[in-house]
Amino acid sequence: MRKDIVNKSMLAKIIPGLGSLAKRRGLAGKLVILGAILTASIVVMTLLSPWITPYSPSKINVGIPLTAPNSQFPLGTDNLGRDMLSRIIAGGGVMLQVALVSVAICLLIGVPLGLFSSQTGGIVDKFFSLIMDSVYAFPGIILAIAFSLVLGRGVINMALSIAVVYVPSYFRVIRSQVLSIKELPYVEAANSIGAKRRTILRRYIFPNVLPSVVVVATVNFADAILTAAGLTFIGLGLPANVPDWGWDLTNGRKLLPSGNWWVITFAGTMIILLALGFTLMGEGLSELLNPRLEQGEEK
Amino acid sequence: MKHLNTKDVKAVSKMIAIVAIILVIIIAGVAAGYYYSTTQQPTSPTPTPSASLSPTASPSTVKETLVMGTTDSVETCLDPARAYDFFGWEIIQSLGCPLVEYQAGTDQIIASLATSWSVSDDGLRWTFNLRQGVHFDNGSEFTADAVKYTFDRNIQIADPDGPFVGIGYGDIISNVTVISPFVVEFNLKIPFAAFLSLMASQASCIVDPQYAPEAGATWSVNDVVVYRDSDPRGSNPMGLGPYTLKSWTRTAGKDSEIQLQANPNYWNASGGYPKTKNINIKMYADQSSLALAIQSGDVDVAFRQLATTDIINMQHSSNLKVWTGTGAFIQYFCMQEKYAPFNDVTVRQAIASALNRTALVQTVFQGQAQELYSMIPLGMFGHTDAFQSFGAPNYTLTKELLASLGYNANNKLTFDLWYESSGHYPSSAEQALVIQDSLQASGVITVNLQSLDWAGYRTARTQETMQAYIMGWYPDYIDPDDYIYPFVQSTGGSWLHINYNSSTMDALVANARGNTSVAIRQGIYGQINDLIVADCPLIPLYQSSAFAVTKTNVQGVYLDITQQWRNWLVYATGS
Amino acid sequence: MTLRTYVITRILLTIPMILILLTTVFIVMRVLPGDPVQMHFEKMATPATIEAMRVQLGLNKPLWAQYFDYVFGLFRGDLGKSMQDYSSVGQQIFSAFPATLELAICAMLIAGIIGIFLGVEASKSYNKPKDHVIRVFGIVTYAIPVFFLGMILQLVFGVWLRWLPTGGRVAPGMNPRGLNLALNANSNSFVAYFVAPLLVGLLLVSVYLTAAKAKHKKFGRRAILFSLAFFAAGSLLSGVISWYSMSSGGIHVSTGLFTVDSLLEGNIFKFGTTIKYLLLPSLALGLVLCGVFIRLTRSNMFDTMRLDFVTAAKARGLKDRNVTYGYAFRNAFLPILTMMGLEFALLLGGAVLTETTFSWPGLGRYLVDRINFRDYTAIQGAVVVFGLFVSIVSLVVDLLYAYLDPRIRL
Repeated sequence: MRKDIVNKSMLAKIIPGLGSLAKRRGLAGKLVILGAILTASIVVMTLLSPWITPYSPSKINVGIPLTAPNSQFPLGTDNLGRDMLSRIIAGGGVMLQVALVSVAICLLIGVPLGLFSSQTGGIVDKFFSLIMDSVYAFPGIILAIAFSLVLGRGVINMALSIAVVYVPSYFRVIRSQVLSIKELPYVEAANSIGAKRRTILRRYIFPNVLPSVVVVATVNFADAILTAAGLTFIGLGLPANVPDWGWDLTNGRKLLPSGNWWVITFAGTMIILLALGFTLMGEGLSELLNPRLEQGEEK
Repeated sequence: MKHLNTKDVKAVSKMIAIVAIILVIIIAGVAAGYYYSTTQQPTSPTPTPSASLSPTASPSTVKETLVMGTTDSVETCLDPARAYDFFGWEIIQSLGCPLVEYQAGTDQIIASLATSWSVSDDGLRWTFNLRQGVHFDNGSEFTADAVKYTFDRNIQIADPDGPFVGIGYGDIISNVTVISPFVVEFNLKIPFAAFLSLMASQASCIVDPQYAPEAGATWSVNDVVVYRDSDPRGSNPMGLGPYTLKSWTRTAGKDSEIQLQANPNYWNASGGYPKTKNINIKMYADQSSLALAIQSGDVDVAFRQLATTDIINMQHSSNLKVWTGTGAFIQYFCMQEKYAPFNDVTVRQAIASALNRTALVQTVFQGQAQELYSMIPLGMFGHTDAFQSFGAPNYTLTKELLASLGYNANNKLTFDLWYESSGHYPSSAEQALVIQDSLQASGVITVNLQSLDWAGYRTARTQETMQAYIMGWYPDYIDPDDYIYPFVQSTGGSWLHINYNSSTMDALVANARGNTSVAIRQGIYGQINDLIVADCPLIPLYQSSAFAVTKTNVQGVYLDITQQWRNWLVYATGS
Repeated sequence: MTLRTYVITRILLTIPMILILLTTVFIVMRVLPGDPVQMHFEKMATPATIEAMRVQLGLNKPLWAQYFDYVFGLFRGDLGKSMQDYSSVGQQIFSAFPATLELAICAMLIAGIIGIFLGVEASKSYNKPKDHVIRVFGIVTYAIPVFFLGMILQLVFGVWLRWLPTGGRVAPGMNPRGLNLALNANSNSFVAYFVAPLLVGLLLVSVYLTAAKAKHKKFGRRAILFSLAFFAAGSLLSGVISWYSMSSGGIHVSTGLFTVDSLLEGNIFKFGTTIKYLLLPSLALGLVLCGVFIRLTRSNMFDTMRLDFVTAAKARGLKDRNVTYGYAFRNAFLPILTMMGLEFALLLGGAVLTETTFSWPGLGRYLVDRINFRDYTAIQGAVVVFGLFVSIVSLVVDLLYAYLDPRIRL
């Protein structure tokens, strides 16, 4: 029936074939593929890191500290004599974990909350909107800092701190989407023929909301990575022996004025590439799935 | 847009012309007003050239102004009753003057506002003869009254933030008596051998009663002189020092700039001090910014804090000079004796034998620090390399000691090592990594690293939740007592919360504190060091070196054990 | 609903928002491990001393008492005393805030100018190589951590080229002093009481006349009456200010924004120095943000350029530049403006990292320092100010949007 057609076309948009993706809409398709390749390669590299790192990334003094890239250490060594190549290969793990967990938490909390609040309407909706606006008004990194301090170190805690900052974005996007969808004729029609609220949610609203959620999620990923780097910069990262690009970035900053460029450069490049991967995917997807979507860039 | 006709166009043009003329008149008037007001503003006072300068430098070759860069900031204020931070003390010492001071480059006490002194046989009464002919800003003469005023005030204020409470002046000094206008007497509660060192401390600088006014019946915390915007003289109660405070800009609790200007009333002005008439101190947010600033020539002198890598790099630079000196800052390894595993002295000794100080100093500080084998630093009497008796690292001994308790390669000694992560100490994370590495290299120890930011770290220390942790220490006064009493004495060391109590140690410390003979004290401190090795409550790690980086034309930098940065000795040559 | 209802509702909603913010911070702060009392004692402290400190900081009172004291203080406008250095938090925040504001404004300008210009160019050559390059540029700059970019800029322009300073806000002794109406008892009364009011009155009249002409009003008796009224009002006001200034030794006007203050002072040299120090931090922050504007401008311009009236203008033979900036852009600008407003609020928080990198004495750096010390009052104060500012900016943006587009009166 009509609702199946609606469903199919929505899903068809979300999971198009890769080939048609590249051909369609020009740059957007290319962006998504580029982003996906970039991200996938980094993920693969990180997963394989226990096997492909030439040295242990946390072992100190495997080489003379602060040697420039050479044949033995292609990316040089840092001030504690650790091999930079190994650290670069293994360093993405922390960022990916933090980003993944924070996005997961956001999705688990933000999406249902947004759906529920906008569906219910009335006082409940106003109440949640108020809370979300308050959190949204808060300078993100400050909230993240405060939560990190309260919760302590660790991947989950850092992810939680970041998630707290981003939930309002999901909430807002979903809420505005739902509010506009609720007015659409076919939803009204479904309502008038007595469809349960849950059914409407599942069949009509959710598939329409999904594209926006996907877009926000990819941007959220990129932001989570950058925020994680920022938190490490301020000193709230993980304990020192876990290989982490954010740590190398912060450490490398101190080493840069004296000419040791390799510590900060490679770590910085990797962070940029990872964030870039997700952003490219987000860019492309947002153009594809909803080319006329009002680009409210919520962070 | 509406369709235009010629009548409208003419009217509009006329209107525009009138408005334009009026605007021109107004702008001219306003501009005239501005120039009028700017020429009326008082010009900054030009420093009066000093009457006589040091014979080695003629007026034309010493620069009038020096720019210094630092990452420090005055933490609270410039009142010695409250100020207890390095930089606050540095400025206080430039603005004020103590009774005695250290000879630059040594740990010898020489005359300052007091010309001579003596101590009674029981060590309870110190008498100082004061310098005559020294004046405050307002022309009144410096007498013994000012000395009594200073110490009465500061002790009575008893600011919990300040050194008078922190060091315990009130527990040492019973009263200050004026014998005659230029003779003052200190009566002590306990014989305190380090009293002269205490008097040479920045906290003991004499205040200017006019700017540290009496208020009400007694002094209280509310009388502490705090920062006042646009009022540098009113922001500090000092006087008699080589400089006066020309300007002090502080935004949101952090300094942005301090300007010092030569004080013509300084008692040693006739000796040509201060060498540089004006000093501008510029504050930077962190090491990297400071490093960039000195490299790009924005500042003439960079002191505190620079990263080790930058310092090493700048040693190769041809247009910068790197000054090195003894540091008095030490770091040490603490172990919580209340719980296992560190409640057993054997375990503590095993750790001491496994620590590799060479790796620490070489890897983290690139050789720009010194290995420390005693709680009393190098350069101070009482220092002995007691901890070298372990031979570090000595994994054979480690394995032996731990084997006696049942630890071996399959059953490793495991504990958490904590470090602070907000930059309160230099390179804490790196130190922890290296220590972890050296301990685990023994093959029978596993170390887990944990960290907290400084505030959390402090609380955890008080709550005694950390098994092993790294701490640091800056001295309050230059005497071995300040490196022993606050650590291993039962009450003195209670803030450290390692729960070490030994009556033998307490007796030795009290003995060393009271005795005025240096030779005898030296012997006692030797015994104390040996006892520390035997009981192993804490393990000294390293002693810092002090660094300053300046342009090549800068002279007069003294980095000695006193850690005093003497602004009045620094100068730059050239035009 | 009417505009008035909307405005009132929005304003009223701000208060509970701030309260929620404040309460959250209050609770979070006290849950944090570590407290300000501890932080005052580097070394030994007897229990008596610690208790004395607790009393001094007001922490011996029960929690709810502290909370209400603080909230009531806020309503009076008193932000309390810092627990770190006992100075007035309000004073500290209001000296740090203009620095962040200046940085934010400048960064927003740079982001806006670069973003809009590139966005327009991209929309003109839609889906051609130039468009792709610009879009990718916007995406890449967004992905760079701002402190990384800042460090590179410092290195290139500060160390290698030595064109710009590496950090700080102002050179020593160069604090702009703002406008100093140095009319004091010594000043010429003739100038103060006659010339100045005359000029101010004339200025007001000319402003009124220009505005009236722009609205194509006729110059009748009403116009003359209004002109006289404005002249009188202007002269009177100016006279009063002069009198006040003369009797109190001069009035000092400074905004805290060094760019504005140096202009008010009339010192072009100081203005130039301020810009020099402002350039690198705003560039770093602005570049990272311009991607958003590129994307937004591009899509909006693309949509607008397809509309009928643009085609009509082109058909009439108007020049390309006129069409783009004169017609299309004005319509596309509205969402961009609102985005600027939203981004602005977020910019304040993002300035934290930039301020640390460039030693910029702003509110972000202040907040991070105070968090390290657990200075409760300072943190609460800074958060309230941040939140208040963000709410005000978003309120203004929402109101502007609601005023200009009646459809949006949710």
